[in-house]
Amino acid sequence: MRVKTIVPSGVVPTLCRMCETRCAINVHINNNYMTEISPLEGHPVNQGRICPRGGAALDLFYHPDRILKPLKRMSDGSFKEIPYSLALDEIIGKMSTLKSDYGARSVGVWKGEGLGFYQQEDYARRFIHGFGSPNYFSNDSACYNGRYIGYHLVCGFWNSYPAFDQAGLIILLGSNPPICHPPFMREFADARSKGAKLVMIDPRLNPVACYADVFAQPYPGTDCALVWGLIRYLIKTNNYDEDIVNNNTIGFDKILAYAKKFTPEYVEQQTGIFADVVEEIALLIIKNRPKTSIFPGAGLEHNENGVNCVRALAILSCLIGALGWPSGLWRPEMLGIRSLTLYDELPMDDQGPIGADKFPVLYDIRKECHTMTAMDYMLGNGAYPLKGIILTAANPAVSNPNTAKVEKALSNLDLLVVSDFFMTKTARLAHYILPAATFLEREELHFYPTRHRVNLTSKVARTEGIKTEYQLWHNLAHGLGFGDKYFPWKNEKDVNKWLLEPSGLTVEKLRRHPQGYAYKPVEYQKHLIDKLNTPSGKLEFASPYLKKLGLPEIPEYLPPYYLAKADDNYPFILTTGARKSLLYHSRHQNIPRFRNVHPEAEMEIHPADASDLGIEDGEAVKVISETGTLIIRAAVKKSVELRQGVVEIYHGWEDWRVNFLTCDTINDPISGFPLLKGVPVRIEKIE
Amino acid sequence: MKVIVIEQDRCLACRNCERACSFKDPFGPIHEKANIWVHIDMNERIIFTMTCQQCETASCLEICPSGAIFRDLVTGAVVVNNTLCVGCRMCVNACPFGYIHFDEIYSVAAKCDLCKGDPKCVKNCMAKALHYCDINDLAAVKRERQLFKQPGFQKEHIEDEG
Repeated sequence: MRVKTIVPSGVVPTLCRMCETRCAINVHINNNYMTEISPLEGHPVNQGRICPRGGAALDLFYHPDRILKPLKRMSDGSFKEIPYSLALDEIIGKMSTLKSDYGARSVGVWKGEGLGFYQQEDYARRFIHGFGSPNYFSNDSACYNGRYIGYHLVCGFWNSYPAFDQAGLIILLGSNPPICHPPFMREFADARSKGAKLVMIDPRLNPVACYADVFAQPYPGTDCALVWGLIRYLIKTNNYDEDIVNNNTIGFDKILAYAKKFTPEYVEQQTGIFADVVEEIALLIIKNRPKTSIFPGAGLEHNENGVNCVRALAILSCLIGALGWPSGLWRPEMLGIRSLTLYDELPMDDQGPIGADKFPVLYDIRKECHTMTAMDYMLGNGAYPLKGIILTAANPAVSNPNTAKVEKALSNLDLLVVSDFFMTKTARLAHYILPAATFLEREELHFYPTRHRVNLTSKVARTEGIKTEYQLWHNLAHGLGFGDKYFPWKNEKDVNKWLLEPSGLTVEKLRRHPQGYAYKPVEYQKHLIDKLNTPSGKLEFASPYLKKLGLPEIPEYLPPYYLAKADDNYPFILTTGARKSLLYHSRHQNIPRFRNVHPEAEMEIHPADASDLGIEDGEAVKVISETGTLIIRAAVKKSVELRQGVVEIYHGWEDWRVNFLTCDTINDPISGFPLLKGVPVRIEKIE
Repeated sequence: MKVIVIEQDRCLACRNCERACSFKDPFGPIHEKANIWVHIDMNERIIFTMTCQQCETASCLEICPSGAIFRDLVTGAVVVNNTLCVGCRMCVNACPFGYIHFDEIYSVAAKCDLCKGDPKCVKNCMAKALHYCDINDLAAVKRERQLFKQPGFQKEHIEDEG
């Protein structure tokens, strides 16, 4: 590979995008070769520290398996290198044919996480509307959206990361911060050194629990009952913020009535968390009101009632009085820049965005189509045919539920274009694979909304033959005839200039602030001055909007599917998705030193269950669900680490795809999220 | 002198230090290759992270018969010279703490050498549990923390921040 670095030798500051945290780093260059990544001092996010995942960005960049030239799939299934211009012409030709034969909406775009997106997401959204189709899909429809929607329904905003270091009590649910949000560790430790308490709620014990004052292990998917139990306790003991309730909310009476049944005893029966532990958590909240930070992890979203659990948590925070405290709920403000999306200019709501009929909230709030419904459309079972997908660095053949169906659906497309670094399971199904640029090869704006901070990353290197994400959309749009109108900018720098223009900030100025530029001080009490961004302008404990759509007005608790429809054939509950420290979803498995740490997939199982089944640690077992089968090694854990009857498998393995077991038809009715954390399975010893 | 100082109650066992340490080695990260150790006992819910403290009177250095273990005059670290080490393992026997071990791949003694004064584990500690500083700085931090535990102090301090 031929690489040209921004300077022949020296140190270039930028942001790491090996995960979503986006730490500030220095890239060391020697003779046009990037030699090392080290932390950049002075950025508030990572404060001069990095993690080994970030340190391995160069392993990814210079990886011998990296795709450097466009590939076309031949009739025998093999891939052949073709020139970039030919690949582009053929893709444009096919897209035009699909548009004239089936309409523009027969083509969609799919944004993944692999490239390290920030600004790139909006390019994809802009492109597909420019093309004339409403069908924007993304990996967010199985991560993040559920929490975004939950908080927006109640508050009209979401500060995804509260200032934990200023909390008196931190409550974590379904999250493993040392792995998924490393900087939280520092904030937790800062808070604890000032006497803060920590409550951790998770079906799986991870080391954070070693320092938790309370660790409670619910049955998967029952957290919502616990949250209601806490709401009831606060109301019953009159320990809630009456000012907020009286002045800023609608629907409190409905909450009051519904909460009544969630006595500690009922919560214990539903969640398996002892009644006195529920009370203990409630008392900790009462003692530490209003300085309580509540953080829901992705673990809560992957249940059929996930959004309601998140809504209940948002309501709990409001009752605690956490509104307007740095450690609680407050409304981040964005820098006033232009937007690349075309939702106002070129709305497509009447074009039948896929899944918007089934999951209207997902489309309303996120302007995203539903990836699981898309599979039906690809298989010819939708309201209209979906024939083409341009997919950038997503890996649905690994990470979407019901893998067998996903592979069948993707294989049924007339045109699948995958832009990626590596030959992923999804890329193998593509007609064309385009080489993608890493985060080190582009300049883009990154925001940290909860810190009111903006960064501009540096284009540290350029690899011959590899186009940036902007160039990809730009070139496709120009070939399809809407480039002049919607992608007029020559390069990323021009885009960034245009975006920043109304803010008064310039590309040059941001370049001088590698530690990030704080665009305005945070006003924690902003919600008191302005109307909230909800339909009523108030905190919506009950949502008339949801009621109108025929959805539960208040965040009702529903017992999870496996409890409601218990089936003796599938006596175990499979949860998927607990993170691996060096992997990032399905990424980084091909970095050899990472692979030494995480060599192979395993199914975590309780020792009593393993002994009942006659399974030894390390032995291969067969896991069977209604959807499919997976053969995998068992890892017998300590009895404290898991509940009996619960097993856990990581979600990102390319060679052991747990989503062969998960099903795509049980969805959260609000977010459309698939059920990934409570899948009934049977485990068989392999004789 | 500066050593690797560990605030035990900040460590949440992400094990990034172990990984960063072992990633230096081309043979890759086998746990035993790291020279910093995160001990996790899930049953007792205990995390304890420790590495060589570069003892003033270092048993490993004192006992080494081949002169392979010496003190780096710049950093003060007790360092193994792989070429001189004969692999007798006496140092492993002598260390009362277990923070020098025998490397099966190279057949030499292995221990923390403070990365020539720029320890990777410290840079990779996102929790800021690890520091490269004088051990008395840790004592100062601990003394300061006692203040927070005094009745009244904590409340006042937290109230002030609002």
